[in-house]
Amino acid sequence: MSGTVITLGPQQLALEEPMYFSVEVDGEIVVGLDVLAGHVHRGMEHLVMKRNFYQNITLLERLCSLCSNSHPSTFCTAVEELAGIRIPARAEYLRAIADEIKRISSHLFNCAIIAHIIGQGTLFKRVMEVREIMQDTKESIYGNRMDLAANCIGGVRYDLTPESAVYLGKQMERIKGPLEELYRIYATDHAIRTRTEGLGVLPNRDAINYAVVGPVARASGIDYDVRRKSPYWAYDRLRFQVAVEQAGDVRARAMVRLREAREAVSLIEQCLVDLPPGPLCSDTLPEIPAGETIAKSEAPRGELIYYLNTDGTDMPVRLKWRVPSYMNWDALQVMLKGQRVADIPLIVNSIDPCISCTDR
Amino acid sequence: METRPVINPIPPVRLYRINAGSCNGCDVELAATAAVASFDVERLGCCYSESPAEADIVLITGPLTLRVKDKVLRLHGEVPKPKVTVAVGVCPISGGVFRDSYAVAGPADDYLPVDVNVPGCPPHPRAILAGIAKAAALWRELSGCGQTLPEPAVPGSYDEDAAAPLGLRGKMRFNAAACVGCRMCEHVCAGGAIRIDELGPGLRFTLWHNSCVFCGLCSHYCPTKALTVTDQWQLSHFQEDKFSLTEQGFIPFVACTGCGHIMLPATPELLRVSYRKTNPEIERLKTLCPECRQKQSLGGIRR
Amino acid sequence: MIDFKEKVSETLSLRTGAEVTIEWRINIKGVMTGWCRLREAALILPAAEAVAGLEGRLSMITAYLSDSAKQKGVREIAFHFDLDGTTLTLGIELPLEGARIPSLTPLFRNADWHEREFMELYDIQVIGHPAPRRLFLDRSIDPAAFERLIPYSTFSNGANSKALWEKVMARSGNNRKELQ
Repeated sequence: MSGTVITLGPQQLALEEPMYFSVEVDGEIVVGLDVLAGHVHRGMEHLVMKRNFYQNITLLERLCSLCSNSHPSTFCTAVEELAGIRIPARAEYLRAIADEIKRISSHLFNCAIIAHIIGQGTLFKRVMEVREIMQDTKESIYGNRMDLAANCIGGVRYDLTPESAVYLGKQMERIKGPLEELYRIYATDHAIRTRTEGLGVLPNRDAINYAVVGPVARASGIDYDVRRKSPYWAYDRLRFQVAVEQAGDVRARAMVRLREAREAVSLIEQCLVDLPPGPLCSDTLPEIPAGETIAKSEAPRGELIYYLNTDGTDMPVRLKWRVPSYMNWDALQVMLKGQRVADIPLIVNSIDPCISCTDR
Repeated sequence: METRPVINPIPPVRLYRINAGSCNGCDVELAATAAVASFDVERLGCCYSESPAEADIVLITGPLTLRVKDKVLRLHGEVPKPKVTVAVGVCPISGGVFRDSYAVAGPADDYLPVDVNVPGCPPHPRAILAGIAKAAALWRELSGCGQTLPEPAVPGSYDEDAAAPLGLRGKMRFNAAACVGCRMCEHVCAGGAIRIDELGPGLRFTLWHNSCVFCGLCSHYCPTKALTVTDQWQLSHFQEDKFSLTEQGFIPFVACTGCGHIMLPATPELLRVSYRKTNPEIERLKTLCPECRQKQSLGGIRR
Repeated sequence: MIDFKEKVSETLSLRTGAEVTIEWRINIKGVMTGWCRLREAALILPAAEAVAGLEGRLSMITAYLSDSAKQKGVREIAFHFDLDGTTLTLGIELPLEGARIPSLTPLFRNADWHEREFMELYDIQVIGHPAPRRLFLDRSIDPAAFERLIPYSTFSNGANSKALWEKVMARSGNNRKELQ
């Protein structure tokens, strides 16, 4: 007999942000789910229509701190597309570097949370300490541990001096070993495998039907990465493997993220080798004509899409975006069905949900 | 192996976190103060608590959205008195970039008493620790547990005088002598942190650090770099100083040497940007208003 | 590439029973986007069926209300689909008053949240939505939030900003030496 409905909040779900679930249970087993969103709704899509393009660069970076760079960079790309601006080659590489640095940090934070939920306190702290290499890197190059302030319309507003490029290269060397070690632990450690293997499975067919994106999609065998499918910035000149797994379980999603973190190191190293000289920004205060356009990028959680509609003034008529997490919540219906209530936090965190992104 | 006995007679001050609709930046940094050794709150004699009823200090993040308001107030109410409340990041302090949204109810101190503010977006974990240290001292005073703070394991880990991490984006500095009054800074500021008022004999510039998100965009677009980013990032303060944490400057008008009309002075920085090097002719023209300059130019330059 | 473009317009034309023209744009990276305005709002359902037949994925739905459209007495919705890296945007116009469109949820299950979201932000009704309730907005906020909100002049002097700045200026307004 089913029918008991329990409400779970951020504390029970082990989330950093307020999100609530209404879960229908049969004894200890999940039979239904309703996601109660909106707690971090800040009316941002309304705010962006009341602010000019410049203010929106900073406002959008505050959408979510874990993927903070993806928003201003993709928004700037949309504005540039409309204004017919080609950003300098150096800026294309610097944007890719900023996004990949954020990807490593974001993926490591999720891996840490997974360890925390499994009850591996030492591993949790170890992952957080490894992540500090990236936090230090962001702080030294960009001046903040979360929000990089790297982008402006027409390019970037940070540069890598010869010294900071050497520093970044050294930081990449420093993190390689720990990333290999973490990959090995998550792949082989008995306790972790027992808790993550076969748990919260999203079969490939469901992944397609539910239209999931990012590591969640790739862990269910969908070979889709915006960097490959619709290249932008320097990604058409960089070599990388799209991490795809077939199992569709909690473990596969963690493996995809750890493989992507390693791949991000390689991408940053390629950028450092290929970094062309030249200006950082092509036009400081361009005219933004009337029109509409689309810009996309592969954020840490997957495909991010922006739609921009303008009328020739310096404020958008409409600026709409859809974050990757928005697409992935619904698939929890499949992942959670028939699973134990005690496993809900682990399965929920395996989609690396971003609530502030979702609610805007 | 020799083991030293653990002497810790002072019970820890317990911290409770409330996310009031934040972008998660401050929350992730709070997680760092629980997980990363060099930022550990235990060095301050504090620990995190999962239950509001068993907490002494409340750490609140986010702009306080309408949707979470009642839940936040209920949780805050469950923390027993005497409690000390810390607003972490500019969102709970002033609404930050989200102020005046239809979905935002804050600032937090409209609904609950705030004692300590930690500006930043997000603040550095060490800035957060400095705020927590202030709050813990206040709580010990209020609760009568007047013991002094235990020595931190690594000196300087939360010390306000500790050297700033290299290149950190701290609070903005304004140099009135370089400002040309173009108002670009005010135009690009997402946090509404900059205000320029015309005051009789000149322009008054005010930047409120509790609304600033430290993005530095104002400096980026400032043509004369009258605004610069400093490495001062330790800005935690008690509530009584909330509204006086400002950067101000005054740009006096000058009289045109041709017609006597008042105008903004042409600053050396502007001349440097425009001409690289100045000469007597430029020095003379800069004392004229645009109209007089035009007249002089049409009349030909006398050498 | 030409085959792909032709295939998309042919499939759309066939399904909607009307000649469908798509403007294709290719950016400097060679990434293509397709832009198409449907003659009638009702054509969105057969057009979406066509996209589903092409194994397209619903990427996003943008409802919007520009001043120029408002003057013409209409509102707009843009449906963005992904065709393996190419974004196809199908636009429709709806009346300002009493706008109704069919739900796309039978074709694309992820239309659910998009539709719930624009129903609470705009005055648009979705026919056949499985659970047409609020998604993000607090109960205390009036429906069609994006349409009933205060104009910009009021907004930029928002009550909160004004009150806070009054306190800032009272504390640090005229007490500095250089201002006296």
